[in-house]
Amino acid sequence: MKKLYSLVAYLVCGLVAVQAGTMVWAHSGMFQWVAAGGVLDKAAIESSDSLTFDGVQGFMIHGMNGMMVIPSVAVVLLVLSFFAKVPHGVAWAIGVAVLVALQVALGLLGHEFTISGLFHGVNALVLFTVALLAGLRARG
Amino acid sequence: MAEARLRWLLPLGLSLAVLVPLGVLWQRSLIPGSLSVLDMGVPDFGTGTVFGASAHDHHGEAGTSVTDLVDAPNRPADVTVDLRADAAQLEIAGRPVQGFTVNGTSPGPTIRAQQGQLVEVRFTNGSVPGGATLHWHGVDVPNAMDGVAGVTQDAVDVGHSFTYRFVASRAGTYWYHSHQVSHRQVIGGLLGALVVSPAGDATPSETGDVVAIAHTYAGFRTINGQAGDLRVAAAPGDRVRVRVVNTDNATLPLWADQPVTLAALDGSEVNRPTPLTGVMVGVAAGGRADLLVDVPAAGAARVQLSKSTAVIVGADGVEPPPPSQPSSWLDLLSYGSPLATTLDPTRPDRSFSYRMTQQPGFVRGRPGVWWAINGQLYPQLPMFMVRQGELVAVHFDNQTTETHPMHLHGHHLLVLARNHQPASGSPWWTDSLDVLPGENYDVVFWATNPGLWMDHCHNLDHAKDGMITHLAYEGVTTPFRLGGDHLNEPE
Ligand SMILES: [Cu+2]
Repeated sequence: MKKLYSLVAYLVCGLVAVQAGTMVWAHSGMFQWVAAGGVLDKAAIESSDSLTFDGVQGFMIHGMNGMMVIPSVAVVLLVLSFFAKVPHGVAWAIGVAVLVALQVALGLLGHEFTISGLFHGVNALVLFTVALLAGLRARG
Repeated sequence: MAEARLRWLLPLGLSLAVLVPLGVLWQRSLIPGSLSVLDMGVPDFGTGTVFGASAHDHHGEAGTSVTDLVDAPNRPADVTVDLRADAAQLEIAGRPVQGFTVNGTSPGPTIRAQQGQLVEVRFTNGSVPGGATLHWHGVDVPNAMDGVAGVTQDAVDVGHSFTYRFVASRAGTYWYHSHQVSHRQVIGGLLGALVVSPAGDATPSETGDVVAIAHTYAGFRTINGQAGDLRVAAAPGDRVRVRVVNTDNATLPLWADQPVTLAALDGSEVNRPTPLTGVMVGVAAGGRADLLVDVPAAGAARVQLSKSTAVIVGADGVEPPPPSQPSSWLDLLSYGSPLATTLDPTRPDRSFSYRMTQQPGFVRGRPGVWWAINGQLYPQLPMFMVRQGELVAVHFDNQTTETHPMHLHGHHLLVLARNHQPASGSPWWTDSLDVLPGENYDVVFWATNPGLWMDHCHNLDHAKDGMITHLAYEGVTTPFRLGGDHLNEPE
């Protein structure tokens, strides 16, 4: 059970890394597309399903991974923590869950407050670190 | 022994405490494969009288079926049009784009009618997979002609037809688009314009009349399906009405290199409009703006539809430079002059709250942060219940981080106030109202068009994510179902 707890904690780390990667991947593709004549305005963003540039999937993966996959994995970690008897394992799992919730909130608030995006990036590193420490803890 | 049991019971209990509420929320968010819209949502009678929930509890009950809500079934049509929709590869700015055509082009043909004429459109689905419909955006059609798959008709399958008939009772600029899987079909170009001119020639000062459909295909902005600028031939001194239709999911900003007049909004004429300089006109998603453009002596006027496309009205070969983009928006709350009206909007029979927030939860079994209306997620949304003849007030309150262009089918909204500041300009009639983050609007409408009507966000991606409610008249039922054999999916 401890091993599973630590694996799931590492999974959170891996998924956070995917978040960082997909965002930059999508932006790289987007800027090349704009350079080639694509125009990015609100109408284009709001029909992002129809955009076809290389890397556009990055935005979709970032959204799905961040809003659905990572929160689900955080819940799994929390449930495992009840059984795993990792020292302070429940507290670490709650920490991960709270940081995930904060991260989603910061991401969405970024649509309204730019500064929120700054904290979204920083909080990603905090989340990564806490998940990593939780995983290391379970290894004793 | 007891201790050992506790060692298992405690984690198990904690797990259940976490998982059971999540499971319940998840289960509640699932949509059956076939569902009547009348079984969706929770009846909301607002501040008005609660009537027998006959519309909601419709099983085996005699009511009016949406299919009976038609215009003059025996009257011969004045305007007859055949429209055929196909899936097709479009060419936009020299690039192939997968989309849809109507009669071979996207946008489809502009339908023109005179006020009071009966329009009959025979719609055939040539090759649109999953079916298609036509919705008449902004036209107060009878409910059976509203074109909402699963609510007022079944999606028209490939090889089948449906005939739409309605009286074009109000002059103005409108548009038609599919209301089956609309977040794909509309974005892909299954749309066109409908122009209803006033009975008799009421606008002799106008020498030209042109439609400019703004649509973004796969990230490429177009006017009437062409990237770049739309040229309209006109001589100095001419006055041309440019009917801008925003078919995208986001607000379209308009501005010009000289004063232009906003003559009509969403098909309703503005009372005593004044020429505009130094401001942008924001056209909500789904909305229309008629601009009067006077051709200057210099030869041509330029109207920007966003930064990337423009309508150039004037002599061929004259190329006015793009004007710089103004930083402020026209405030429609105070534009034009008030008009004495016989309709008193101040004593509604019923008032509804339409509060938009974002909250974590499940929609269609998917976890995430979703649009909520009055604190509830799709499909537990309010079903706004009204009786025919009532004056109905709605308070839109956008507490989310994004703009929502609110579109009520079959009715026109009259804006009374924004953020509690009363409207002071021309009567502001709209069918596509942009509610910005942090804004609230007080609007009214007269419930004089019985049926089951969608009342949704016209950012079609938001609609797909559950930003969809309905307005239900007392006693109206529908034989159609969401999902089901025709895979009706109006969003
Ligand atoms: Cu919306």
